[in-house]
Amino acid sequence: MGQLTLGVGEYGASNIIGEEVKTYALGSCIAVILLDPQTRTIGMAHIALPDSSINKNKAAEKPGYFADTAIPALLEEMARYGCHKKGKGMVVKLCGGANVMDTNDTFQIGKRNALAIKKILWAHDMGAVAEDLGGNFSRTVSVSVESGLVTLSSPGRPSWQL
Amino acid sequence: MNKKLSHSELLAIVKSVPMLTPSANQLLQLTAQEDHDLADVVNLVKTDAKLTARVLKVVNSAAFGLLSNITSIDRAISYLGERIIVSIAIGDSAGKLFDKELAGYEATGGDLWRHDLRTAIAAREVASQSGADISPDLAFTAGLLHDIGKALISDYLLGTAPDAIQMIRSDESVDYLTAEVAMVGFDHTQAGYELAKIWQLPEALVEVIRYHHQPSQAGEANRALVYAVHLGDNIAMLSGFGTGADSMQYPLDPGYGNYLSLTPIDLENIILTVDSEFSKLQESLTANGEE
Ligand SMILES: [Fe+2]
Ligand SMILES: [Fe+2]
Repeated sequence: MGQLTLGVGEYGASNIIGEEVKTYALGSCIAVILLDPQTRTIGMAHIALPDSSINKNKAAEKPGYFADTAIPALLEEMARYGCHKKGKGMVVKLCGGANVMDTNDTFQIGKRNALAIKKILWAHDMGAVAEDLGGNFSRTVSVSVESGLVTLSSPGRPSWQL
Repeated sequence: MNKKLSHSELLAIVKSVPMLTPSANQLLQLTAQEDHDLADVVNLVKTDAKLTARVLKVVNSAAFGLLSNITSIDRAISYLGERIIVSIAIGDSAGKLFDKELAGYEATGGDLWRHDLRTAIAAREVASQSGADISPDLAFTAGLLHDIGKALISDYLLGTAPDAIQMIRSDESVDYLTAEVAMVGFDHTQAGYELAKIWQLPEALVEVIRYHHQPSQAGEANRALVYAVHLGDNIAMLSGFGTGADSMQYPLDPGYGNYLSLTPIDLENIILTVDSEFSKLQESLTANGEE
């Protein structure tokens, strides 16, 4: 079975039945998953940081790295699959955004990522229907193109679905 | 239920680990000193033909894309820098430990080395950006070695990860260290500490290995360094490079603020740097692994 694997700061889409869209070990990073029922396309971005203003070069080279550049880039990619350019009708799911235990404000990267992503989705008139965010554990996420089912796993825990 | 190890059993495990090569040991001693020259590093490497060959192999690897071969060890070392030389020496000397598949943590082979390398880069960045008086090179080396104890107790933790996670979720354990103690009698910092003593590592490295999860307990002289590695460790875990089930299962000690200054933007920049440096370094060091 085919698999589209996305590393940190990467984004991509698939409409191939039987394929899985997958990303490994999201700590404070967040996977934004866009499911388009119209075209049966699954898009995903593995976002590391909330805002590209800290490094414009990196954003140009890897737009998927930052929340503000990743979401427009993912929508553009999905438009190539015939999806609506502004994400109309898409179902949004979010997972990741973990924080370390007893963390202080500075280290709440997961939380800042989640806030930034939600703000940008909001600006696109999109909102998450399901989310599995926060906590202090790492998540591996896999989405089946055929069923749209999102499966999560983490070492030492049974897998679960979203 | 796994059997708890007695202290003498732990010592027997630690003693079964091969010693570092004399050149790796001396490199660690030398680079832990505040005033040392790269020339001293060069002289040391020259005493070890195998290490010299490795260093030349790394510098001439595709990762650096040099137009012409470097054949002089002096030039190779000044090109690569102290940190890469130390990484090569440690990898050469204790590669088996670092490459060990940490099955007791449900991690895969290579996870420990990747976690250590990311911790090393992050600790170096924290040290150099935080305004503290810590040697970035030493923070890097300390990051490489901090979790070496996991390789010692992993086999004995086999099958315990789900219970350990459950103990933490139900507040029966405050963190993964307490869970390790409950499972096998010792945690990875205690095991690493015993090895660090047998390897006769410099005091600063011994303290990092022992206290990287409880930096406030380190001696005053090395406390800032231990905090830098503590943060580097957390940064590595946050970016998805832990060693399996224990990832992010340790509290962050906000007391670092007394030693290191770090804004949220600094932290984000460090995460970025670690990502890009890691790929570069990993690529160049793989020339080290194969024979
Ligand atoms: Fe540790
Ligand atoms: Fe660690």
